[in-house]
Amino acid sequence: MHALTLPESGHYDEMLLDSGGIRPHYRDFARWLHSQPPETLARKRAEADLMFHRVGITFAVYGDDSGAERLIPFDTVPRIIPASDWQTLEAGMRQRVTALNAFLHDIYHEQHIVKAGLIPAEQVFSNSQYQPAMQGLDLPHRIYAHITGVDVIRHSDGNFYVLEDNLRVPSGVSYMLENRKMMMRLFPELFASHAVAPVQHYPTLLLNTLRHASAVDNPTVVVLTPGHHNSAYFEHAFLAQQMGVELVEGQDMFVKNNRVYMRTTAGHKQVDVIYRRIDDAFLDPLAFRGDSMLGVPGLLSVYRAGGVILANAIGTGVADDKSIYPYVPDMIRFYLSEEPLLQNVPTWMCRRPAELDHVLNNLHELVVKEVHGAGGYGMLIGPAASAAEIEDFRQRIIADPNNYIAQPTLCLSSCPTFVESGIAPRHIDLRPFVLSGRDISMVAGGLTRVALKEGSLVVNSSQGGGTKDTWILEDQS
Amino acid sequence: MKLTIDHETVYRYDDTVSHSTQYLRLTPGNSGHQHIISWQLDLPGVASESVDAFGNILHVLTLDTPHSEIRLKARGVVETNDSWAEQPETLPAPVFLRDSPLTEPSEAILALAASHADAIAANPEDGLTALMLAIADAMPYTQDITHAGTTAAQALALGAGVCQDHSHVFIAACRSLGLPARYVSGYLLSDRDTHVASHAWAEAYDGEQWLGFDISNRQRPDRHHLKLAVGLDYSDASPVRGVRRGGGSEALHTHAKVSEAGQQ
Repeated sequence: MHALTLPESGHYDEMLLDSGGIRPHYRDFARWLHSQPPETLARKRAEADLMFHRVGITFAVYGDDSGAERLIPFDTVPRIIPASDWQTLEAGMRQRVTALNAFLHDIYHEQHIVKAGLIPAEQVFSNSQYQPAMQGLDLPHRIYAHITGVDVIRHSDGNFYVLEDNLRVPSGVSYMLENRKMMMRLFPELFASHAVAPVQHYPTLLLNTLRHASAVDNPTVVVLTPGHHNSAYFEHAFLAQQMGVELVEGQDMFVKNNRVYMRTTAGHKQVDVIYRRIDDAFLDPLAFRGDSMLGVPGLLSVYRAGGVILANAIGTGVADDKSIYPYVPDMIRFYLSEEPLLQNVPTWMCRRPAELDHVLNNLHELVVKEVHGAGGYGMLIGPAASAAEIEDFRQRIIADPNNYIAQPTLCLSSCPTFVESGIAPRHIDLRPFVLSGRDISMVAGGLTRVALKEGSLVVNSSQGGGTKDTWILEDQS
Repeated sequence: MKLTIDHETVYRYDDTVSHSTQYLRLTPGNSGHQHIISWQLDLPGVASESVDAFGNILHVLTLDTPHSEIRLKARGVVETNDSWAEQPETLPAPVFLRDSPLTEPSEAILALAASHADAIAANPEDGLTALMLAIADAMPYTQDITHAGTTAAQALALGAGVCQDHSHVFIAACRSLGLPARYVSGYLLSDRDTHVASHAWAEAYDGEQWLGFDISNRQRPDRHHLKLAVGLDYSDASPVRGVRRGGGSEALHTHAKVSEAGQQ
């Protein structure tokens, strides 16, 4: 028997109904859980921690001097999603990423959406994420975001909402893969009794996507990492190894005669596709930040001449910027003539005076985010903030309203999670990964992040979040 | 008028450089203002030519054998006139509203800009001319006070600078008022030898066209000016920008000579 804390009423719990009953897709798991002695499960959790340490899945926490690297806590209660929910999610994400790629092609070419008056010109062109270097450049297959991570949450109304799109260098997919491997190792019997959709072919799909991005026959693909100090270095090394391609740093490559070469023990080798895990600003010290030691001098000139493919393309950040996010449903209607299948979270833009007023008058119940912020840094969660924190944020917003957006505090759904007292509901989100190649491909699943602190809505690993394995149950019918 | 340009840039290094890559914007393009009669680069290796984001002609030069000197020569003959119409544009003007690292405004720049806001709104050309003169007054042309990495804010605080600094302050002020503005590098035919022939000025967009302002010379650019490259600031438009491995400290020597063809 486990000490099971029930969710507060009014919240959506992925496993438990308000009545205390179990949702149908969790019934087999709940029965199994009930049958397991607590000591066995505690031992399995300890085993998981030990193995993750051995594999070396750690991440660095920025702004924390105490420990450079930390283990992301892994929870052994899976987040289970029924097939019908996944179908909605998958269709919605395909639609969304198609529209976002169309938007990127458009604003870097004819700018129809600006001319149609749907998005103000200065919001696109003076956005620091808009890259002049991309203007007029034709990319193979018009694909800008080859890899997209879409963050979705389920609200208390039971519906999924897109919280944000990640079109720059989305990370986390290695946790999706390692979490599955761990669960299969710890609890093989669960996979015999549940038809869980596989995720382990993600690296194959990723490699296919990257190879398809190039017009070269049999292209040479590499993964470009900023190095082992980066918080996601484990993932860079992991994906390179899984795909069977070289992991390189900027200093391993150079540019000559409109081509990129890597230095290898066997001499120079031409590189055709760079899966880059470094930000635009650091790619080429001759074109962007001159102090970057991470990039390749001259890379931009080769890229513009079509001599190498970057995945993702330069300048994709203008489509996932929080100030552009509110326009995504309009993009879907504009480019695809379809209604959005997944909803956006209602968003107030502080750059608009009327909306700024509303935000300033309702800070105690809103979530306020920096337009360029990421990783849960620089945000205010009104209901959880002290009066002093709210006041501090108010001054920051007034000083620079263009830099902030606000959203209602959504109640992220919860999922039972192991905590000190037993099993209790903790809030979760979901990041599936969308690959844009010959066509759009996805593995059924994603990274489920969980806010381990009671009542917390911040799932970011840098803010004390953990992860869970995500099971998409295949339709048995 | 017909201008003859002779421009040499030499980098000398204390130690051997094992590998270097240069972005060169040393070739002017044709426009309504200037017609290239002849132009040639003399470089220590093969460079690949392309057009950069701002429409500038870009040469990328990679040297991958050990060297302790890089000598870059550009020379040519160009026919110029006083018109700045028919400039080829590759980017929407609002791109030039963004702050760039060298043009982030300080309080002093914002105040300077604000004091000209009404005049510029009433008549952009006259208002911007007044802004140009105010900057030239506030920062007398002085060499060796600032360097290539000096920001607009630092230069105005110093109260002195060269054409690069003047242009950066002007650009920062314009952008703070919502006017797209950009940096221009080029050559200037001048009978005064106080200014180097390798020159920089600024352009602001009045909603219909780009207007040039040569702040250092307190004048609007004319046929004495030859345009090489434009960008958000000096970093985008500088004639030479390079990265090297090894080499130790470097000594830079540049010499640019602009003369009226047939009148030397």
